[in-house]
Amino acid sequence: MSTTNLGSQTKQPKFDYLEAKTTRETCSFLSQYKDKAKLIAGGTDLLVSMRKKKITPSYLINIKTIPNLDYISYDGESLNIGTLATLSEIENSPLVRDRAPVISNSAHQIGSQQIRNLGTVGGNLCNASPAADMAPSLIALGGKAKLKSLKGERVVSLEEFFIGPGETVLQSDEILTEIQVPNPPPNTQGVYLKLPARTAIDLAVVGVATVVTLDSNRTNIIDVKIVLGAVAPTPIRARGAEGIIRGKFVEENLIEKAAGVAAEEAQPISDIRGSASYRKEIVKVLTNRGLRQALTSALGKI
Amino acid sequence: MKQEIKLKINGEAYEVYVEPWKSLLEILREDLDFTGVKSGCEEGECGACTVLVDGKAVNSCLMLGPQAQGKEILTIEGLKVEGGLHPLQQAFVDHFAVQCGFCTPGMILSAKALLDKIPHPTEEEVRVALSGNLCRCTGYIKIVEAVLAASNKERSK
Repeated sequence: MSTTNLGSQTKQPKFDYLEAKTTRETCSFLSQYKDKAKLIAGGTDLLVSMRKKKITPSYLINIKTIPNLDYISYDGESLNIGTLATLSEIENSPLVRDRAPVISNSAHQIGSQQIRNLGTVGGNLCNASPAADMAPSLIALGGKAKLKSLKGERVVSLEEFFIGPGETVLQSDEILTEIQVPNPPPNTQGVYLKLPARTAIDLAVVGVATVVTLDSNRTNIIDVKIVLGAVAPTPIRARGAEGIIRGKFVEENLIEKAAGVAAEEAQPISDIRGSASYRKEIVKVLTNRGLRQALTSALGKI
Repeated sequence: MKQEIKLKINGEAYEVYVEPWKSLLEILREDLDFTGVKSGCEEGECGACTVLVDGKAVNSCLMLGPQAQGKEILTIEGLKVEGGLHPLQQAFVDHFAVQCGFCTPGMILSAKALLDKIPHPTEEEVRVALSGNLCRCTGYIKIVEAVLAASNKERSK
């Protein structure tokens, strides 16, 4: 009953459609079609890029048809999240909120409800935007990615997963199947702060994840991780800033100093969402704020 | 190569045979005449195309037709109740929350998804739930009022 197509402003790009029922089948398809194929899960980044003609895959492999890849579970040592877990499932998961609230908090800040209901954690990471909102907190918590190919499986630390804008260590026949987040040590609290270009539905101009671990007396900072998003070709650890605070007594001017160093470590570009100098300034603000919030939480939590 | 897609829309079973690159939005509007679902940005930014899929609000422009296989879809057309408007629709009318009406189907469906999950939300929760639906006419105040009123009406019953 199709009438004249008056509605569609953007020309739908054409492709050959494949459905994967297992991760193995996915790897087979990828092996066969290599870079002529793209995986589609939520499609919230992929379809937009295809409509803008930024990428033109000849084959789309639907992986949402793979059952049991959307789990969120805990095995006593790590939180394990299946690659197809949607951002809203992660946002609302009691398990994630309890064990690693900085992750559910990150998911909450992505896009809109509609986007979060479709988009997956695997997609957010594998799309590898330098601004990927799931990356900073997952890296700060020492998260790892399980990658599967026809040759077998390997586990890669998320800190080493990203190699450039839109580029990861994934080989052409590999699929990310699971994210593993090891148990945070006791007295650990974290926060993800994002400055979007508008108030909602937007990419991060700057994203900062701060995770602090205090000693049992809660006077000294045993460990701190500061991960910056959207201000470098990939998410980056602000190791210099971390070094200022790690092992130290909780102190006001240390936070200021660390925030300043984090800003220097950022390597942002100027684009439509903000200039490089603005972004550096915001790194300072969000690192400062993030450290204060994480420390307040860690100090206050009984 | 066309795909056969079987899905449920507003409680009824449908079967379409379409190219796999057609979005759910296109299928709903063009193949099945559910023109209450609006095409806005086709980028997942405006929410005009919002429908509920298995109870969850999604941008139908970002779902491929084959991904709707076996799903239960609710469009604005499905909110009809016996003898009149759905309480949410009535609240939008009563509170002047409709001007040009283009965002309205998406707004109401996002609101429905919220109220089905959280029957008595706070204003903040309403705003977060609707933050994926843009409106160029109203300034949102009346829309938020309408959703809160619809939720309170249920409470006072």
